[in-house]
This record gives sequence, structure tokens and C-alpha cells, in this order.
Amino acid sequence: MHLYILRRLLIAIPTLIGVTLLIFAAMRVLPGDPFATIEGESIGTIQLTPEQIAKARASLGLDRPYHVQYLAWIGDVLRGNLGTSFWRGEPLSELILRRAPITIQIAIMAVLLSWVIGLPVGMLSATRRNSWLDYLARVFVTLFQAIPSFFLGMLVILIGILYFSWRPSLTIVYLWDDPYINLEMTVGPALALGLGLGAFIARIARSSTLEVLNEDYVRTARAKGLGDRWILVRHVLKNALLPVVTVSGLAFGGLIGGSVAVERAFGVPGLGLALVMAVAERDWMLIQNLALFYGLVFVLVNLLVDVSYAWIDPRIRYS
Amino acid sequence: MSTHRHAPRLTRRLMLGQTLGFSAALLAACSSQPPAPSKPAEPAKPAAPAPTTAPVPTAAPAAPAAPAAAAKPTEAPAAAAKPAAEAPKPTAAPAQAAAKPGVPGVLRAPEPSPKRGGKATFAFGVTTNHFDIHQAGGPASILWHTYNNLVRLDPTDGLKTIIPDLAESYDVSGNGTIYTFKLRQGVKWHDGTDFSADDILATFNRIIKPPDGMVSAFKPRFGALKSVEAPDKMTVKMTLTEPRAYFLELLTHESGIVYSKKALDENNQDLRKVIAPGTGAYVFKEHKVGERWVLEKNPNYWDKELPYIDTLEFIHAPQWSDRGTAILSNQADISWNVSKETYEEGQKRGNEIGTFMVPGAGAYQIYFNCAKKPFDDARVRRACHLALSRQDLFEAFKTQEPLNYTRYMSHGFEYAMSPDDVLKQPGYRADKKEDVEQAKKLLAEAGLADGLKNVVILTASVGPHAQTLTPATQAILKQNLGVDSTIKAVERAVLNDELRAGQWDLSLNTIGMPLYDPTLGWIDYFQTGAANNLGKYGNPKFDEMLKALDSEQDAAKRKTMFREMEDFLDQESPWMTIGFTSHLHMWKKYLKGMPFERVRLSWGKTETMWVDK
Repeated sequence: MHLYILRRLLIAIPTLIGVTLLIFAAMRVLPGDPFATIEGESIGTIQLTPEQIAKARASLGLDRPYHVQYLAWIGDVLRGNLGTSFWRGEPLSELILRRAPITIQIAIMAVLLSWVIGLPVGMLSATRRNSWLDYLARVFVTLFQAIPSFFLGMLVILIGILYFSWRPSLTIVYLWDDPYINLEMTVGPALALGLGLGAFIARIARSSTLEVLNEDYVRTARAKGLGDRWILVRHVLKNALLPVVTVSGLAFGGLIGGSVAVERAFGVPGLGLALVMAVAERDWMLIQNLALFYGLVFVLVNLLVDVSYAWIDPRIRYS
Repeated sequence: MSTHRHAPRLTRRLMLGQTLGFSAALLAACSSQPPAPSKPAEPAKPAAPAPTTAPVPTAAPAAPAAPAAAAKPTEAPAAAAKPAAEAPKPTAAPAQAAAKPGVPGVLRAPEPSPKRGGKATFAFGVTTNHFDIHQAGGPASILWHTYNNLVRLDPTDGLKTIIPDLAESYDVSGNGTIYTFKLRQGVKWHDGTDFSADDILATFNRIIKPPDGMVSAFKPRFGALKSVEAPDKMTVKMTLTEPRAYFLELLTHESGIVYSKKALDENNQDLRKVIAPGTGAYVFKEHKVGERWVLEKNPNYWDKELPYIDTLEFIHAPQWSDRGTAILSNQADISWNVSKETYEEGQKRGNEIGTFMVPGAGAYQIYFNCAKKPFDDARVRRACHLALSRQDLFEAFKTQEPLNYTRYMSHGFEYAMSPDDVLKQPGYRADKKEDVEQAKKLLAEAGLADGLKNVVILTASVGPHAQTLTPATQAILKQNLGVDSTIKAVERAVLNDELRAGQWDLSLNTIGMPLYDPTLGWIDYFQTGAANNLGKYGNPKFDEMLKALDSEQDAAKRKTMFREMEDFLDQESPWMTIGFTSHLHMWKKYLKGMPFERVRLSWGKTETMWVDK
């Protein structure tokens, strides 16, 4: 197992290099650069001469050849220096350390919520196949899969403001600082993300449960006279979990990097919102480092998911 | 590796693809709020406040009661006197606020017993790329609380009057070219050093004669400032090459914030990376990038009675709607600019929330590329101007921002034509029949009787104005004048470069006038070769008119000149004004100490504000 984990981590290195190359190239291919954006914000106030523009670009290191810029960035990352935001001058390690806990917390809460909702609904739907309960569950599953999470977010904000004069906090409050305000801040986004994911999990859980229910060992268990509940918990649940874990792991990685719209809808100052701002401002350094961070999270989450298979299903062996 | 397991029906690769696709879709779905010139006012109605009177300079402001012994930390009554230009009669000051009568520019809350202490939270966008306000950094609206100007607008009269600030008094020579400021005694910088004329010299000499490598954002605005001298330690003399009617107003702006000579010297004249000490009522405490700023009361402020509030917090809410919901949910106490729907919700809660529309100095407008055929021909430009229905554009935009019927200056400026009169002008009036006929005639005269083809309308890819006003403009010009056009939407990051490259015919954009007096703005936008004349408009006659306007001091003559020049611009149409906007102020009514019903925008300086709870 240890050797497997080590090997997977080594394989992750070329993956991450690929991520860095792709994101670096993507940023350079897109029209505009950080300076163009900064200058664009000043339109109506100042107009720079070509010499001043060249000097300002040089001060940001944008005048260097691309390969030099790339190698300088990678060198800095390897030394543990993520650089500073082009736009705000903030050290990026500080930004990630400050914002990541909120985004990760929201992602964890959303995944947990999706399990709490999705697993029971999916399994109930499978065991009561074609009953009114199944139909009802499928209607809700389809509904919440169809509703975009940011729209749910907007609904939560609207209802919160209009009926309760409430909205999540606009500034970061960590769980360990003030659990109540922290939960106020994170529950909404987690709900908006978790409901959609929960619907998806319910679908996956339903289909995998149905598949497992038709397995020979379940039939054998029934023939032995075991009760339905015992069979479901002891024999079906664990086996049906594998695809759910796969989906959840990937979803978690996606939530870390892809909760952009929901963070935007709620005004939660997490990594997603930072990424949106960075893209609009062409803050290459921030985008590059966030992409690398997301890549790292994906690799680690995938590894965790794979390792968890062996725990869930003892028949799986890594050698 | 070998694995023996049940293969999940949903492969990871498939899921990864789906997840990435979903993330990409989300990314594409969202975009940052674009800068907008300002915020709403009712369409077809002028904004509620009377037009901004040019701030009234007060050469010898009357003195209000000034502070005495520092009061108790809370609930100590302060002087109720209202200072300055409107010849206020100082009211009797409560004992603890007894003071230094005769000291000009000393401000007090209008209420008799302002409470002390507490915190006020502002909601608005508070990001910045550096801290040097004179290098166009900021955010000036936050840092301004930590600095002073030589003169300022009076927050207790809705920003109508210019009153002394770091100057105790000032004098303007008869020909309007020499301004002499007597400086306030006893002012200290936050680092404990004494304020003196040297600081004024260092500040303004850096603006007008910037050191190598510094981009002096306000140098063009101070183009007429020839020299700054200090006859003695507490006197400053500013000499202009020509009179400027707006010079004092310019000094009230963030362009007139005074920096410490010591801080400038210690930082090699570059304050971009440091938050330099000020003389203001608040001192910097904390800054979390893209999240919030915190300022704390300056215990050594020169006016011992002020500020009343201990802590000012500014939370980053770039979205107008977030600012509004922050107030509605009690996370913030005030915002200078909220979204229309939250403003309307605030109006419904009038018992606890105050709302007010303030005329802005920004507008939506459509540039013509005057360097490119056929729009190098004024007849073609005027034809479009005549055919463009402002009413239809306002209707299209009504859910975003109500716009005001204006020409080339803010409706908040005292010489602006009233909306009713604007609506009588060709091009602006509702009945387009006559205008469209005239427009077609002009096109025919220009040899374009068959209409305009292949017109490229350049616009930003995101933002309500880009997504609503641009297609609406395209449709209106097509319907009224048969203009065949395509929209070229580009990201904000490259809009500037695209505008410079000149491969466009029309461009819907936003502009902001530096002052309500449009003289400087017109110079910047319409003068031949000017920095922000992105449409490359040029007319020697208009340049002459601008030059005359810039140095004219007589108010009546200036009023006439403004009107003649707007008529001229309507004929020439270097751009088509859609309308100037207004900002939507919203605040909790427990905030007191200054009227939030202001005649102009100013997002800084709230020393007299206090919290009544």
C-alpha cells in the first residue's frame, strides 16, 4: 500500500507539471495581460506614454520571454514562494491560507450534506422501486439536478433578506473564531451546492443499490433468511458505496475549484471568488497558483478515493 | 499496480470531464461587476436634490464652537454649531464642547448631543493595487479618512460649501491667480511629527513636477499651477498661470490630499507600497486584501472633539446588490452606492433605513471613431445622435440603472440644463419623427443615402451597459436610421487596447468627470489629442472655446459658455450621451451627525458622523 501511494505521488508530478504548462499557456494565449487590466481601470484618470507602459510591464516581469517567466514561477513555487498578486500586491500564500479554509469547509459541508440527503434517498428509491416513494424521490432528484446551484444561492439570499433580514457574512469568520457566524456564512453555500450534489448522489446510490441488490450474494443472504434491513446495511450499502465515493471525491475537488458561482452569489470571500476576480483582472500569478493548488487538491483527493476503495471493499488489493 | 474491484459504472475519467465542464460553465457564467459610472436616479425625472451648486468658497468662514477638554468616552455632548460659509450662527455649545471660537473649519454634528464611540461599517468595493492616491492608487475613499486637504466640502451641509481644512483661512488674489493659505496650528501627523508648509510644498510639487518614474495622475488637472511657495512655516502661496474657476474645488478632491514630506522623503517619493501617515481623524489599523479595512480614531486629531465614532470598518462588497443586502441584513451601516432592487427594499423599510439618490459625475455614452470614415464626418455623427432614442435606451435599462436626461455635463452641476429642457432638444426629445427625417437628410448630404453598412460597435463583454445598452443601441439605430452593425464584445482587460487600436466605429462606454464642473472633463475627453479623447475627436474651434472656458472666472459668462459649448457638441457629436447616472445612498437611520442627502458624491470624510444606538 505504501509503495502504491508513493508511486501515485510520483505519478502526480508530471500531472502537476502538465497543469502548470496548460494554465501558463492559457493565460498567455488569452488577450490582455495584468497591466492592461490595471491600466484599463485607470482610464479616465491617467493615460500612460508607451515608455511608461513598457516600464510598468517590466516592473511586473511581463517583458521577459515566456520560458523565463515560466521557469521563474516554477522555481519560486519549488522554493515555497508563490509570489504576489499582480493586481493587489498581496502574497499569494497568505491569500490561499486565508481563503482556502472557508472554501474547503463549504466543500466538506456540501459533500456531507449530499451524503446525508443522497444516500438514504437513493437507497430508499432503489428498495421501493417503482413505488410512489421512488417516483417522488426521482422528481426531486431531477429537480435539484436541473436547478443550478448559484440559482439556489440567489433564492436563499432573496428569501433570507426579504423575510429574515439575513444574509451570510461578507467577511471571513473562521469556525474556530466564531462557530455561529461561521456557520451562518457557510451553511447557505453548502446547502446550494449540497442539494444539487445530493440529487446526483441519490441517482448514483439508487442505480448502484439496484445493481447490488441483483447480485448473487444478496440472493444468497435472502435465501438464508436474513432480514431486509440487515441485508441492506450489511451487504448492500458497502458495496453500493464505491461509485458514490468516486463521485464524491471528484465532486469535492470540483467544489474546491468550482464553487465560483455560488461564492459569487453569496458574496463569500473564498478561493472561488478570488479566482473570478483574478480572471477578470488577468492576475496571472494568482490564476496560475490557484490552478496549481486545485491540481494538487484533485491529485490528493483522487489518491484518497482510491485508497478508500480498499477500506470499503476488502476484495480490492493494491500491490 | 493491480486492482481487483467492482468497476464503478461511472468512470472517474467521465466524472472528471463532467466536473471540469461544469466548472468551466460556472466560470463562464459569472463575471465580475464592471465599473459603472454611477448609480440610478429616476428616468424622466431629475434626481431629487437640487443641482449641485458650485461649492461656495468661503474665504473667511465663520467660526463655530471648537473643542475643549476631551469628553468622556461615551455620550459626551459635543458642540452643535454648524460652521462655515452659510454664515451660520454658532449655537451655544454644551459645556464640554466649549471651544475655540474663531477657529474656522471646525466641524460639529448638527445634533445637540452626539454620542461617542462605537463602530460604523461601510459596504463597498475596497480593493486597490497600491496606496499612493496621487499615483491613482487608493482606495481614496477609505484612505481619505486618514488625510486632510487644504480645503474641503462641508459634510454637515450636504457638501455644498467649501470650508478650510488644513488651512485655517485662505485668500484669493483679485485676478484669481494667487491663492494664499494660512495653515492650521497644532496639527500633527500620525507619526507625531508637526505639520507645516513644507508638507504642502512636498505634496504639490510632487504632483506638478513628479520625480522620474512616478506617474502623477493629477498633473494634468493641476496644469495651471505654476508654483507653490512657503513665505513662512505656516503660510503657502499657490500661483497659477491663469485663473481657474474650479481650482478650490479641485483642492477639495482626493487630488488635494496632503502627504507628509517626511513620509515622501523616507519612501523615495513613492507611496505605492506604504500607507503613509496622515493628519486625518482616523488612523490605519488593518487591511485584509479584498476583504476589509479597519480605521481607528486618531487620539491626537487636531480637533479634540472629533471624530465621534471610534472605529470605521469597510467591507469589500464589489457587487451593488451585496452592498445593499449587507445593510438590509445589518452587516453594514451605510453604503454610498447600492443596487436598485436593494435600494427599493430599503425604501420600504423607511423607519430604519434612509435612502437618497445623489447625482453622479459619470455617464454612459457612445464614442464615435472620429478618425475613421464615415464618422470623421460630423453630419454622419449628428445623424446618429438625432436618430438615437434615449427614451428607448432608458426603458431597456430601467431594471439596471435609471438614467437621467442630460447632455454633456452631470445633472448635478449647477449650470446643467434641466431635464425638461434637455427633452426639448433635437436628439433627446421623445418624438423622433422630425429628428429621424433630419438624420436621413444629413446622411444623404454625406453621400450615405443608402444608410450605413458594416458598422462595428465595440463594447465590453460583460456588464449591464454592455449587455443591454449596446444591443439596444444597435437595434434603435437599425430601426430609425437603417444602420447595419455588428457588435464586437471584448473583455475589459483588452478594451483599452482595442479602443486604441481604432478598429471600431462606435463604442459604448462609461466616462467619469473629475469634477462636477465639466471643464476638466471636457478638456480630457474632447480637446484635440487629449489623453482620454479615445474617439480622436478634434476641432480647433472647440479647442479655442475650451481654452476660453478654462480661464474664465465670471460665473454668468461661464454659464453662457457652457450652454454654447453643449450646443456645439450636439452639432459635432463627438459622442452620443445616453445619460448621466446617480448613486444610491443607503444607510441606517441610527447614523447621525451629517446629512446623507448630499448634493454631490464624496465617499470619504465622516468625522461628524455618530451612532445613535
